Amino acid sequence: MMNWNLYSRGDKFFAMVVSVLIGMFTVATLYPFIYIAAVSFSSGFAAQAGKVVLTPIDATLEAYGYIITDPKFWISYRNTFIYTIGGTIMSLIFIVPCAYALSRPQLKGRRFFNLFIAFTMWFNAGLIPFFLNMRDLGLLDSMFGIILGFAVNAFNIILLRNFFESIPQSFEEAARMDGANDFQVLWKVFIPLSKPAIATITLFLIVARWNGFFWAMVLLQSEDKIPLQVFLRHTISNLSDDDEFAIVQTAAGFSAETVTAAIIVCSIIPVLIVYPFVQKYFEKGILLGGVKE
Amino acid sequence: MSGVNLSGIVKAYGALQVVHGIDLTVAEKEFVVLVGPSGCGKSTTLRMIAGLEEITDGDLTIHDRRVNRVAPKDRDVAMVFQNYALYPHLNVADNMAFGLRIRKMPKAEIKTTIADVAEILGLTPYLDRRPADLSGGQRQRVAMGRAIVRHPKVFLFDEPLSNLDAKLRTQMRAEIKRLHNRLGVTSVYVTHDQVEAMTLADRIVVMNDGRIEQVGTPMELFNNPANTFVAGFLGSPPMNQMKGMLTETGAKIGDAEIKINGAVAGHAGRDVIVGIRPEHVTLSDEGQSSALPISLDLVEPLGSEALLHARHGEDTLVFKADTNGDIAHLSGVGAVHVPSHLVKLFDAETGRALNLGT
Repeated sequence: MMNWNLYSRGDKFFAMVVSVLIGMFTVATLYPFIYIAAVSFSSGFAAQAGKVVLTPIDATLEAYGYIITDPKFWISYRNTFIYTIGGTIMSLIFIVPCAYALSRPQLKGRRFFNLFIAFTMWFNAGLIPFFLNMRDLGLLDSMFGIILGFAVNAFNIILLRNFFESIPQSFEEAARMDGANDFQVLWKVFIPLSKPAIATITLFLIVARWNGFFWAMVLLQSEDKIPLQVFLRHTISNLSDDDEFAIVQTAAGFSAETVTAAIIVCSIIPVLIVYPFVQKYFEKGILLGGVKE
Repeated sequence: MSGVNLSGIVKAYGALQVVHGIDLTVAEKEFVVLVGPSGCGKSTTLRMIAGLEEITDGDLTIHDRRVNRVAPKDRDVAMVFQNYALYPHLNVADNMAFGLRIRKMPKAEIKTTIADVAEILGLTPYLDRRPADLSGGQRQRVAMGRAIVRHPKVFLFDEPLSNLDAKLRTQMRAEIKRLHNRLGVTSVYVTHDQVEAMTLADRIVVMNDGRIEQVGTPMELFNNPANTFVAGFLGSPPMNQMKGMLTETGAKIGDAEIKINGAVAGHAGRDVIVGIRPEHVTLSDEGQSSALPISLDLVEPLGSEALLHARHGEDTLVFKADTNGDIAHLSGVGAVHVPSHLVKLFDAETGRALNLGT
């Protein structure tokens, strides 16, 4: 409990301003969630008429009923899991050893390689060259292409490299004296000591993969390979000018808006479930970037 | 057979040479201490023996095998690090077992080895604890245990006691000595603490500026320092050094003259540095022959003895004196008498000890 008597008037005023600002930010970030959830549980008419503000109007589960009976929804949901899990594992397989190697002073050409990797954070080839590259590698419309194509990420490598660099040199030396080779030093010493950092980048990777939309949309054509985010986009663009759907939705109690909102809610749920468990790593990870321990 | 042999060992980082061709032989089962000020190359030398630093030039052999290009793990040496370098995510037993597991020792054997070593080091009750839950002394013992379990041919110690408080340091120093007596493994120990060097070493190697200044037993080095650097480094407080000039009967320091045994005859007029150990003087009154007049600055009581900080001309001197339970009688000291056979002489230019045939 704070003892306000110890604070000057200026401090109190400052605290008040901060509280108001934080309150505004909270509302600004929370409201879209509440709004989407409310829309997803509202009737199609109410949503189209713009009546939904904070709570569901004419509460109904029709929109959910519509999407869960759509097999394409489940396929895209499954695909998102595949991209998220497969992509995260693939990324870790590349990022962890890469970060370790870059963190070692004995690596020949270390400065060059570090710069080489960091360079990609500021400059990249751009949409068309990347697309052509993927095409020529035979990775268009390929699930493996999505997993492999975005496996390496400079920011995460640098984050982990910095953490590895902060581990005292003597741990590596002790392990070497104990007979460990490079892989054993990494596997048995550095990785266990870097759990918080690895958890953090794992989280970054999961979130990025889960929300991955643009490249999946560009690179994937087959309906059975698209992730949830792309499916959502298809739904938004298709439903509103689909005559058949227009007839169905009039009869039923949902609309393009409520179906879209329901898909968004479904895509958020797993993140909402996981986030509280990894929140502490997320916060640490943000610090990791700026502060070298 | 020699334990460790360094022959013309050079270490350079690019154009910067930090170790300039060291020759040193450590006998089997010997405890050798490398001592010197920071940056003298002692740790670098140890790390070259360990294989953690590449050797720029020269030959390193361990048990008569040339190991210049042999990986640390294949040199059969174990090292205790200054910060212990215990793996924080492993408990004591796993820390000690780490190297054995990597070497694929059978599980049952690992268990008995660790139990034996833990027993020797008094770590049995702590085997399940993580390093963070141990005291400094216990961590130090685990670090030694990790080295011992491997039964290496050579132990390397890199300032292992410098992170401990003074009391624990004294205690651990004795434990290391006892352990060495018991295991009889060739040991090379690096420290900047001359007390550790004196108490632990069979032989001390005094290093300065990437070179060896002198090698010898602690008492040899204490009694017969090869040069002013060694004289100033060993002993606490270190040897007093004053500029002087030889006469037919002794040495003239400023206006005073102290007697030195007959051997100086014939060298009169030579510039020298006169070395006097703080504990080698007796307090005397002014005016006594062969006494060095001093003006007392400060008396620091240490209990049974006291340190007298004094001046003679421009030289600042420190002497040791018994207090006999009282320092009042020390405040009036005006001169010290130095037994002539205990005075050390060094060449004023080179700093090397002068042996005038005494």
